[in-house]
Amino acid sequence: MYELLLAGIANILQLKYLLPLFVGTLVGVIGGALPGVTIALTIIVVLPFTFGLDPLQGLAAMTGVYVGGSAGGLITACLLGIPGTPSAIATTFDGFPMARNGEPGRAMWLGIWASFFGGLLGGVFLIGATAPLAAIALEFGPWEFFSLFVFALSMVAGLTGASLTKGLLSGAIGLVITVMGNDPVMGAARLTLGIGFLEGGIPFLPVLIGVFAFAQIMTDIEKMRAIGTVGIAERIPTLVVSQLRVIGEIFSRPFLLLWTSFIGLLVGVLPAIGGSAANMMAYDQAKKLSRHPERFGTGTPEGIIASESANNANVGGSLVTIMAFGIPGDIVTAVMLGAMTIHGIQSGPLFISQQPKLAYGIFAAYLVAHVLMVIIIAFSARPMLRLTTVPKSMLIPIVLVLCVIGAYSLNNTMSIVYVLLVFGVMGYALVKFGFPLAPLILGVVLGDQIEINMIRAIMTDSDPWLFFTRPISGGLLAASVVSVAFALWQHHRQRKRGAPADGDTDF
Amino acid sequence: MKRFLAAIAAAALLTSLTAFAAYPERPIKMIVPWAAGGDTDNIFRPFAPQFQKHVGQTVVIANVGGASGTKGAKEAKESPPDGYTLYSVHEYIHSTYYTGVADVNYTDFEPICLISSTPSVLTASPKTPWKDWKALLEDAKKRPGQITVGATLGSTSHFFPALVEKAAGIKFKYVSYEGLAPRMNAILGGHIDLTDSNLTQKGKVEAGQLRFIAIATEKRNAEIPNVPTLKELGVNVVYDVNRGLLAPKGTPADVLAKLESACAAAAKEPAFAEALKKQGTAARYLGRKEYSQWLKKNDDLNKTLAKDLGLLKR
Repeated sequence: MYELLLAGIANILQLKYLLPLFVGTLVGVIGGALPGVTIALTIIVVLPFTFGLDPLQGLAAMTGVYVGGSAGGLITACLLGIPGTPSAIATTFDGFPMARNGEPGRAMWLGIWASFFGGLLGGVFLIGATAPLAAIALEFGPWEFFSLFVFALSMVAGLTGASLTKGLLSGAIGLVITVMGNDPVMGAARLTLGIGFLEGGIPFLPVLIGVFAFAQIMTDIEKMRAIGTVGIAERIPTLVVSQLRVIGEIFSRPFLLLWTSFIGLLVGVLPAIGGSAANMMAYDQAKKLSRHPERFGTGTPEGIIASESANNANVGGSLVTIMAFGIPGDIVTAVMLGAMTIHGIQSGPLFISQQPKLAYGIFAAYLVAHVLMVIIIAFSARPMLRLTTVPKSMLIPIVLVLCVIGAYSLNNTMSIVYVLLVFGVMGYALVKFGFPLAPLILGVVLGDQIEINMIRAIMTDSDPWLFFTRPISGGLLAASVVSVAFALWQHHRQRKRGAPADGDTDF
Repeated sequence: MKRFLAAIAAAALLTSLTAFAAYPERPIKMIVPWAAGGDTDNIFRPFAPQFQKHVGQTVVIANVGGASGTKGAKEAKESPPDGYTLYSVHEYIHSTYYTGVADVNYTDFEPICLISSTPSVLTASPKTPWKDWKALLEDAKKRPGQITVGATLGSTSHFFPALVEKAAGIKFKYVSYEGLAPRMNAILGGHIDLTDSNLTQKGKVEAGQLRFIAIATEKRNAEIPNVPTLKELGVNVVYDVNRGLLAPKGTPADVLAKLESACAAAAKEPAFAEALKKQGTAARYLGRKEYSQWLKKNDDLNKTLAKDLGLLKR
């Protein structure tokens, strides 16, 4: 195995493979950093350019985009407070406050090194534990998936800010959004208001872009007016920090790094959850396990480490599932799988044993991409940081246009843009009324899956008690109850102490 | 410099004028009504670059999945009939219409060409006790309505096992798993017992993760010579999934002719034939006229099937 891996690395370091890998990682970082341009979109844009390359060149480029994109989101998440991709949502919670507290360099490098080490940990699992981990994921039937998603959603209770009720309501709105459109089994129309395009349901991406980017931009505009800083360039704060100190900060919390990387990995291995849930679940875990949960949201290093290590470990995990079973987890991995097929690779349990050179070439590309990612962000950090000094009056329209283009290019239809607009306004209104937005997003991400898995479970066996009597499913449901109870208890304790709720960094 | 700019402006004007004159002058969207990485996507994705080469314009695949593939069908139906939106289709257009899943009918479109044909294979989970069809049949007779089949309800993966049901006089229980990829996940984990699959899953069968029970062709397939046909087992079912291209009703005849000739040339490309082989699929080309007749015949057949299977809703 080690000889194969070393041979794979030696192979990938040849210029003909290193070049596409480097270009892919660079494009991935840029795409990941630009709000409104998701990893999925970047990967879709890059795919056609790989058609003419040989399989390993093409897949090296694609792996680079995936790794670079998963890390690139942290740049705008930390410096602008807008997640460049859904998988960097939780990075904004602490990265942006830390940057605003005058430590943008520390915030960003914490993110970079957490991505690097999280990604490497993910790589260790990818290479070593592909078979056993995927075997676990396969044991999950519809009951287990249903319970897992319910567990994920109930954990949102811990993510909500001041009010548990508003958090739960926000999650419920997210679930209602997924109910709109044709039902997933027999296509009966629900809540479509007679509007044709609503029959297909509301896609996740425009909701995310609208709710997150638009609401963020609107609040930015308000602040701009209030302070009257239109067009005034902010001073570029230094990004130079002691790398040893930052790496030391991460390694002084070995348990946190391991645990959140593990969560990212596990979410990646399980199909149909994806990076957007991984970083939030990891953040929530870090907050619950921390001795100082009240510091979360104010710029604590733990929050950045949790989110960023989880989202890069998640890439390793998803690659396990695509390579071993050919099952895509989300849009990004579906396109990755498509790329493999286009390059003539039949992914499946026989892939590694029949094409070890190619498989280990992909493993090697994954590892090398992480090194390249650190180098690329280190050198492009300054230009990226200039984004914050561009006058908001220029930056905001650009970001808005990118958001709209990103949504439009999802499947080249205008209706998506209208969805974006509606949810932008709605997200802004929700922020105004003090609703946290993360539960809404998680509800939208998981709603369809919760529904279809419940239907499948009941179609397979009409006994509803199976949700509780199947051990993994029952355990996950019990964990959901504990999760909500724990959140209630925490809120209760906070209220007793009279700790002020942080409204600003809530979403 | 001024002259240079003027030349560029003139050139730009000229190209825009010629472009205005001839279809296609902008990229063509090809709707695939399922997710990327599915069977249909895997056939149209290698087809698109070849088609692009012969039609002389960029061809963009848009994956519009959802509601048994009918979301993409609706979007295709509502697109302007200008030849810039094409729709990749298979038999589900008939079956979802007659089973009441969708209001979109094949008559809402103009046929362009048929490109491929994929035989169905009855496939079992390795966690089931059946080594062959005989064992499955005995068990099915003992436990009517208890053997689970993963299927996209109202679509081809529902029709094929339903035909087997009827021909063999047994009863299955259907569980909704839309698309081949989720079905594979479920059957590998043993959460469903049976499903409709095809030769693309050969690798998993060789790895002992799946079991091919029987293929729904007239003769055995050379790729899997050990798998019997349903016919030789006494189950009179022949079923395959045929994929083609449609355009919205009212697309001008000259545009359709152009698309047809591009499709004919693309379907003959060796690179596409190679890609089809990897998908366990046979090339099957029919032009506009033949495809139109084929669709009519297939529609009647699907209506009869839906009626026979008790799924007819209109």
